[in-house]
Amino acid sequence: MIKCHGIGVVDMFTEDELVRYERQIIIPGWGEQGQEKLKKAKVVVAGAGGLGSAILNYLAVAGVGSIRVIDGDTVELSNLNRQILHSEKDIGRKKVDSARDKLQSLNPHIEIEAIGEVITEDNVFEMVGDYLIVDALDNLPARYLLNRVAVQRELTLFHGAVYGFEGRATTIIPGKTPCIKCLYKDVLPGKIPVVGVIPAVIGCIQATEVIKYVVGIGELLINRLLIYDGLGQKFTEARLKQDPHCEECRLPRSFTIGDER
Amino acid sequence: MSVKVKIPSLLNKYANGQELLEVEGYSLIECTRNLVIQLPGLKRWLYDKQGELRPQVWFFINGERIYDDEFTKSLNDGDELFFLLASGGG
Ligand SMILES: [Zn+2]
Repeated sequence: MIKCHGIGVVDMFTEDELVRYERQIIIPGWGEQGQEKLKKAKVVVAGAGGLGSAILNYLAVAGVGSIRVIDGDTVELSNLNRQILHSEKDIGRKKVDSARDKLQSLNPHIEIEAIGEVITEDNVFEMVGDYLIVDALDNLPARYLLNRVAVQRELTLFHGAVYGFEGRATTIIPGKTPCIKCLYKDVLPGKIPVVGVIPAVIGCIQATEVIKYVVGIGELLINRLLIYDGLGQKFTEARLKQDPHCEECRLPRSFTIGDER
Repeated sequence: MSVKVKIPSLLNKYANGQELLEVEGYSLIECTRNLVIQLPGLKRWLYDKQGELRPQVWFFINGERIYDDEFTKSLNDGDELFFLLASGGG
């Protein structure tokens, strides 16, 4: 830590960090204040696969101060067409361990917390805490669990999903936008085809949303679904709204005084 | 009355490469029914074995997501219908 002239955000950063982040600090509306917000930010990334690889790499180098990674899987050879967090030498290791090593070597100034467990109904609330949530999962049941925490604790959730050459992203602010349960009633069954560039594009869009949200600049994907079609090489956008019958975010919570324990 | 239907690129091959086509119908339910008569290859993607619209299909009218209870609502001439398949890859 360098101490210069008493107060000021500069106190937060070493000289190395200021050099490291110089190119983004000079972005209009960012500044050292923006960088300080990133350093203080706490973000949980659920999934260290294709989406997670892009999201985690870019949140780490941008300087998000506390990053928690959740993934219960181990690295397999068939992951390596898209999951650039992991290398051939990592096969058989926990994905969160290889993720932590890679991210910490990219940026030693941030804290990486690795949770190598599968998300369940029992552990999800504790795993998320009060962190911003990035959904980089590959299955709907776990997405519903993350969504429940987001809705009940009013935490912002940055959603992305991919299939083949296509992907989508949206930013969920409980109460203001649809939740995962509004949007997803079910998903296509079977093994999901993916080419690495697609989760890279979508993951970078999610990471961009996180960075803008924390720094407080730009327009977010609020009630907007951004759809990337890699084959047609087109981005399109659609408007989203809450499902009036959503059982997660629209039904009133039916507590009466007698129910309270 | 006719509605413009936009085919997602994922399903392009079932639409003989067409991206946009005109379909007759007064509501979404009628339009999708007529769409799969025109393009039978799309049927199994839009409907389940019981003949119900699949919950994995997201429908948009003029760029806005609509839910089940709006599927019978009447559409206007020239409205644009777009659909996507929900997938959970990460
Ligand atoms: Zn909802």
